[in-house]
Amino acid sequence: MNPSNLSNPIIVSGYGVVSAIGVGKEQTLASLREHRSGIAPVQYLATVHRDMLVGEVKLSFDELMERVGVPSDAEAPQSRTALIGRLALREALQQAALTTPDDYARTALISGTTVGGMDRTEIEASVTPDGQIVHYNYDCGTSTLDIARGFGQFAFVDTISTACSSAANAIGMAVELVRQGHFERVVAGGSEGLSRLHLNGFNTLMILDQQPCRPFDAQRNGINLGEGAAYLVIESEASALRRGVKPLAVVRGFGNACDAYHQTASSPDGEGAVLAMRRALDDAHLQPSDITYINCHGTGTPNNDVSELNALHRVFGDVLPPFSSTKGFTGHTTSASGSIEAAFCLLALQHHFLPVNLNFQTPIDHDYPVLPNAAEQVIPLSRGRRGGLLLNSFAFGGNDSSLILSPYTEPQTPQTLQTPQTPPQAASPQTPTRKVYLLAQTLLAPSVDPNFRDYLAPLESRRFDKLLKRTLCCSLETLRQYPDLVPDAIITATVWGSAISAISFFHDMMRQGEAFLKPTLFMQSTHNTMSSLIAIQTHNHGYNNTHSQLSDSLPHALLDAWLQMQSGRVHSALVGIHDSIPAFDNRSYLLVTADALPPDCHPLAEFTSYSELALLAVKNG
Amino acid sequence: MNELIETLKQQVIEALNLEDLTPADIDADAPLFGEGLGLDSIDALELIMILEKDYGIKLQSPAQGKEIFKSIRTMAEFIQANRTR
Repeated sequence: MNPSNLSNPIIVSGYGVVSAIGVGKEQTLASLREHRSGIAPVQYLATVHRDMLVGEVKLSFDELMERVGVPSDAEAPQSRTALIGRLALREALQQAALTTPDDYARTALISGTTVGGMDRTEIEASVTPDGQIVHYNYDCGTSTLDIARGFGQFAFVDTISTACSSAANAIGMAVELVRQGHFERVVAGGSEGLSRLHLNGFNTLMILDQQPCRPFDAQRNGINLGEGAAYLVIESEASALRRGVKPLAVVRGFGNACDAYHQTASSPDGEGAVLAMRRALDDAHLQPSDITYINCHGTGTPNNDVSELNALHRVFGDVLPPFSSTKGFTGHTTSASGSIEAAFCLLALQHHFLPVNLNFQTPIDHDYPVLPNAAEQVIPLSRGRRGGLLLNSFAFGGNDSSLILSPYTEPQTPQTLQTPQTPPQAASPQTPTRKVYLLAQTLLAPSVDPNFRDYLAPLESRRFDKLLKRTLCCSLETLRQYPDLVPDAIITATVWGSAISAISFFHDMMRQGEAFLKPTLFMQSTHNTMSSLIAIQTHNHGYNNTHSQLSDSLPHALLDAWLQMQSGRVHSALVGIHDSIPAFDNRSYLLVTADALPPDCHPLAEFTSYSELALLAVKNG
Repeated sequence: MNELIETLKQQVIEALNLEDLTPADIDADAPLFGEGLGLDSIDALELIMILEKDYGIKLQSPAQGKEIFKSIRTMAEFIQANRTR
């Protein structure tokens, strides 16, 4: 554990939020306090499912362009994901007093998204007379660059793509980058515009409720999809005070784990959720009894809510702290939900109220009589420096993350006030560097066709596309070289992810309309299918993350591994780059710190800094 | 009925990508889920899609599938009784 977590806390100095219940914090706060839901029949998305209830941002495309200030004759195409992302990012940066190109150049941006600019792809795609489908893919990394473009050059841009936990994982990465002094500040969150692709995808899974969603209610029958964006400016307390900016809250801890159970379902006992919450509590140096409110993932599906309740009881015991799901306000905003709900928690902390759980009537028949917070409560959320709010954000592939936010109390590092010197561009790490060793690697050239049967039973592989099979073969081959070593982390880099599945689903939708689509294609279309699949096949509950930032994807995945290892929480990591378009090598690396080196092993290389480790990407690239 | 059973076996193999199986490998009375073929909830959704697309039967909830998809035979019986095309 790094004691600097406490002596120089990581704080939020600004945040911005856009969702179905408002553009900006003011509208959002009013809607939350007046119990005003933003869920309504489809208004803006060009879908045949007109009666479907969704949480759309209440602005048309043209209105969004006007709000953002993009000239209508702008050359670059825009997506809703990019436009609402810019609105939220602008509000966050302005509050943190980051307004000049020089400010941006010293700020890193990490954004979570999964569908990226899909809404734009759908508008532009066309079918030729001979049945060919012409479309341009806006990949996730490009979508984040579209958001960034409105401001200028950021110090670093990364996109996390782990489906519905993307924004939470972006915040987790941001915290580590600031703690370890890689950047002075990081603005992190996520953005996701509603698309026909994922509305129909969730529809094939038969988990869309035709009524307003009812999280934690016995009669709950699924989710309403939503859209939105939110970003948090994250920096050290010392950095904020030096800039004369008021810290708003403390980002106290973060935890991520893989449920390693199923691509779309949560395990009955919520193992991944339990581990994520416990890791966040450990990271925050807090006990379960310190948590004063839980903003649950609470999607409203029969599966999620009961699994999450079981997990809550395993962590907190019979009596739970007040909890609610705010999905009844916004719908499930998928990749953006982690940061949108973090913004709700920040509003709750600043204005001393507990967000209610809309549409709750009947408790789930459960071993314990538990009721979500259904009526307005004004309770002290703060217990001085020991209090904390916990936020859960779970995703496909069992990618489970928890975040702990605490009230900001008083300057805890007064000495920094007296030294208003030029801030370091990139401060030196606060703990001695842990050496990282490359223990094993596998490069699978596109021309090589591995025998899948050596790795997978036919029934297991029945629904995996070629990329997933190659990813698994490449990863298992690397792990086979040290069968006793179970990696603490699985981190994947990908530009296009499982594009084969996503494009097949999209083409089916273009050809045959929004009916009879295949759930199998949708469930493996998310970028984190690969990392999850490796974890599910090897029963790995470790840290699990996926980066998608064009040619920076692998360097960013390696940086993530480096940060996790330097934090002392992770001693071994399986890092890979796996892509379907164009056909690159599949590559996988097993990295360990000194304390995890197996006896009598012969490391292939050793690294004493991240810049050395990053050469792995260059060498093979 | 037997004809429908044989058609269904072929449709299930295609929809679930059970490329190593032939219709002869599937026992019409063997359980599809759990002990038998070992299918899961996503496979159930694919089977629901077969009902909808090829036989014009729309289920309201995936939970209804539990009884219908016990075996190929129960699936065939349900289709025979409820098909609209």
